Amino acid sequence: MIKIVITGIGTISAAGANLTETLDNFQDGKRNAGPVSLFPSTLPYPVFEVKNIPEKWRKDGMRTLSLALCAVEEALNDAELRHHLSGLRVGVCLGTTVASQLNDLDFYDTYRSMGEAPMDPVDRFLRGNLAGAVACIIKAQGPCLTVVNACSSGADAIGVALSWLKNGICDLVLAGGADELNHVPFCGFGSLGIMSESLCAPFDRDRMGLNLGEGAGILILETETFARQRGQKSQLYLAGYGSAADAYHLTAPRPDGAGLEAALQKALTEANITPQDICFVNAHGTATQDNDKVEGNVLARVFGPDIKIISTKGYTGHTLGAAGGLETAFTAVALLKGWIPASPGFENPDDEIPVMPLMEETSICGNYVVSTSLAFGGNNSALVIGNKA
Amino acid sequence: MNISGIGIIFTHGRGINKYDEALRQGWRKPSLIELPSVPNKQFPLYPVEEKTITDKGISGKTRRADKFSKMAVLAAMDALQDSDLKIDKKKFSLGIIVASAFGPHVTTFRFLDDILDYGEANVSPTLFSHSVHNAAASYIASVLDSQGPTITCTQFSLSFQQALILSKAWLHEGRCEYVLVGSVDECGTVMEYICSQKLKMAHDGKIKPFTFSARPWAVPGEGSVFFLVSRDKALKKYCQIEEITLGCQAIKEEDIDITILDADGIAGDESQYRNSLPTNAYIAGYAPIFGSMMTGSSFQCAAGALMIKNQIRYACPVQDNPYNVNICKVTKQAKMKKIQCIRYNCLNEKAVIMLQQ
Amino acid sequence: MEERQKKELEQIRKKLKKLLVTNLSLADIKPEDIKDDEILFEEGLGLDSLDAVEIVVLLQRNFGLEVKDMDQGKKIFFSVDTLTQYIYENTKKPSKK
Repeated sequence: MIKIVITGIGTISAAGANLTETLDNFQDGKRNAGPVSLFPSTLPYPVFEVKNIPEKWRKDGMRTLSLALCAVEEALNDAELRHHLSGLRVGVCLGTTVASQLNDLDFYDTYRSMGEAPMDPVDRFLRGNLAGAVACIIKAQGPCLTVVNACSSGADAIGVALSWLKNGICDLVLAGGADELNHVPFCGFGSLGIMSESLCAPFDRDRMGLNLGEGAGILILETETFARQRGQKSQLYLAGYGSAADAYHLTAPRPDGAGLEAALQKALTEANITPQDICFVNAHGTATQDNDKVEGNVLARVFGPDIKIISTKGYTGHTLGAAGGLETAFTAVALLKGWIPASPGFENPDDEIPVMPLMEETSICGNYVVSTSLAFGGNNSALVIGNKA
Repeated sequence: MNISGIGIIFTHGRGINKYDEALRQGWRKPSLIELPSVPNKQFPLYPVEEKTITDKGISGKTRRADKFSKMAVLAAMDALQDSDLKIDKKKFSLGIIVASAFGPHVTTFRFLDDILDYGEANVSPTLFSHSVHNAAASYIASVLDSQGPTITCTQFSLSFQQALILSKAWLHEGRCEYVLVGSVDECGTVMEYICSQKLKMAHDGKIKPFTFSARPWAVPGEGSVFFLVSRDKALKKYCQIEEITLGCQAIKEEDIDITILDADGIAGDESQYRNSLPTNAYIAGYAPIFGSMMTGSSFQCAAGALMIKNQIRYACPVQDNPYNVNICKVTKQAKMKKIQCIRYNCLNEKAVIMLQQ
Repeated sequence: MEERQKKELEQIRKKLKKLLVTNLSLADIKPEDIKDDEILFEEGLGLDSLDAVEIVVLLQRNFGLEVKDMDQGKKIFFSVDTLTQYIYENTKKPSKK
């Protein structure tokens, strides 16, 4: 059986400009949220913004791409690949929401009022297909795909990468997700009534909704054979991916959680393990009423009520298309380091949720962990990461 | 990977038979529309009519769906029906992969209207939830009650080809037994305006696939095509998709009966297509039937699948042929074993979809 | 009930039914088909959570009313009658007395 190893990780979010900084902030329980500064807004919701994007990756009007490139650079360095991509069969598969949409408010406002508008935002959009732009910059010459599965995009992009590698379509993939905090979805989530005016509290009885965030999380995945050939060793591997649709509703999760449960079962089957082998779950945990209730119940059903869970959205906010990438990265690192941080925002258990997130930093021992993602449109995804040690 | 069902929504109607009819009939004039921004000037467009996507059978589950989602739902539903596959016991084994270059941008702009007209705190949640690319896939899963994996992807000109590569991988790995894979794209007035700025609009209404021009003519179109694909040979109603190649991978060109050029004026310079001409095979291009679309390869593939199934060669709808290449001039019965469909994106990367009997 | 109040309530009901049909894309339903006391959600007219937040916007845009607490919303959104009553009570002009 072909094993797909994780040889590089890169992350950027409000929790940290790179993985080291992020882990420090996790340890300190720091939550870097505040009012929106990226665009003018009177909406009262706090957000998790990335404060300093290095100069060399700043791209005017293409913030999502900038965030992706920060994480890509870190991941490539981690995998000792920075200058060695030419001639390799390298795929790029990235999830996003914002970068896939032509939703420039200024362009549209000008078009509406003047009957014409400069084409610069359109050109940026056409140049900015996330996977395409990253592939072009790093000169990757394999398959290239931007996944637009709303909030599970990043996780599904990693799932696609697994399929590519197992099918021999390429030898190495940069996979994950990136999204910027953008005015349009900020208004959209506000209209849905699911954003909290205070800091989000995943799985808490008194949770009031999500906070939006931004960032990017990228993994370097490669076949074990290929990694070995280029002298790379990695303990971590991507053991399984499962995805299933709710076939229920555009914005509400299926109340019985059957889709998420099917996704988890598929991922465990592919990893060839049982639920008892899982030592912790990095949950989607958006802190909305519906998500946490449905997800919490499914996790209890599949793994038992004592399963250790966390939602890192308390540190990053909901980063939409980046969430699956960031959270898989955090999950992998936790497995490697043997500890998980406290789940921020959680104080009071909810009678309707039979699992409880960790209230303090906890060590874990075991060989397998899971990251879950649920999306608008009813998509559910689960990724299993294994540790060979 | 075998094609066992096709569903299609395009400017001349709904269903694979309607498409066959349109291919036999040949070129028809596009509609001419006026843009609010450019008075006294008309622009050509191959639109999908409202009546084409009106279907009482799904109105309950899709009451809020926009044109983008409805086109995709109907094409996907028809592909499944065309295949005669019953999925009631297969609800976890059917995958759905939707490719779109631009997503539901009409709804996105309507949501921007809301922000501009009513302010950021007073916008429609329905519009917002329909402005995401994967709304269509969600509706397809919901209408078909399919709980397999769903992916929506966007890669501009090569969105459909990438979707096919993933379908093949999913089937090969056993991630699902069947995949509904297809494309959907729409063209609203803002997109038509953008096309008028970025492309050379064909004011005689003709896309000319064989002029190999650096500035080719375009007539924007819209629609959706879905294929039900599986590894099950018993379900090979049309043909098999033998391979999908990207970039400079070598392709064996022997025994090819027709090379379909997906040259439709939407991705810029088409001079590269001249380097892809086969020595013996016929050359065709059917974009003038459905319009210029980044995801037009799915429509070309549907034409190829029909030709293999019906052992017929469709005449090229627009036959301007300054380089005197070997184009199909008349529609007639012919042996059809192997058809390739070629697309170049704006970076001049080549993608080939190979169909085989 | 005063004649004037009855008339005003009827006007609100009529406007509301039209708005519900249009804004919630209830294409197969005519405004006059919605009964005044018909339950709007689930087993009634079949509206769902997305309709609920759309009604919040509808009330804001057309009647200048803000419903922030969705628990309160559940009671208000029970039927056309409850909605009408809410709108009537909250948009009444202050008496000149």
